[in-house]
Amino acid sequence: MTDDTTPTDPSKAAVDGRHDVDVAFNPDADAGATPCAYTEYVERGDVDGLPATGEDATGLERAVWDALYAVEDPEMPVSIVDLGLIYGVELEADSSDEETAAGATAENDAHVRVIMTLTYTGCPARKMLTEEVREAAASPDGVASAELELVWSPEWSLDMVTDQGKTDLREFGLSV
Amino acid sequence: MRRTTDPSVQTTGDETGAECPYCGSTNTVREHPRGPSLCRSMHYCQGCEQPFEKFE
Repeated sequence: MTDDTTPTDPSKAAVDGRHDVDVAFNPDADAGATPCAYTEYVERGDVDGLPATGEDATGLERAVWDALYAVEDPEMPVSIVDLGLIYGVELEADSSDEETAAGATAENDAHVRVIMTLTYTGCPARKMLTEEVREAAASPDGVASAELELVWSPEWSLDMVTDQGKTDLREFGLSV
Repeated sequence: MRRTTDPSVQTTGDETGAECPYCGSTNTVREHPRGPSLCRSMHYCQGCEQPFEKFE
């Protein structure tokens, strides 16, 4: 805009459509506020088996886990798998592909589904990380497509960090 | 005007006793529940007189 210095004219703002949110101040509006008004907090469920590290994975699933291990937190040189952010990896043959029925090997067009969380719902690296993880999961030969499901339950905590992850964090100079 | 605590600075972490990553001392105090990133808090080590961050 060229007229930044001009005081905001309400009628003009309405035309712009940029200031169409009612910002009237109400000191009691946040009386029952939680850290995020749009998140339903669920008590931590069964965390046996978490964090998922893919230690039993073989074949194509192994390749997906290896690709995920290569993804690091944007701020710390620690794998997101060791941070415990990955809750699960599911592989399924892409049944929508008609070539499969025609005889092509099912292993060549698997669909990967990664279930992951973030350390905080307000994580500023959300878009960057989820894109990177989805691309990593789709990278091994034999994976046709990958999708990522972001979950917030059970909530992530330091308990999810693997021993290797804790070692890496300390080496980086962070107390854990 | 009534002020309420910003819930984003609440933390479950302890205020003292975090292990210093440099000297290993646990004679430390937390200076702020949040650090440069939401998943870290700021601490100070009385042993080696260094500030450090704790991953929360």
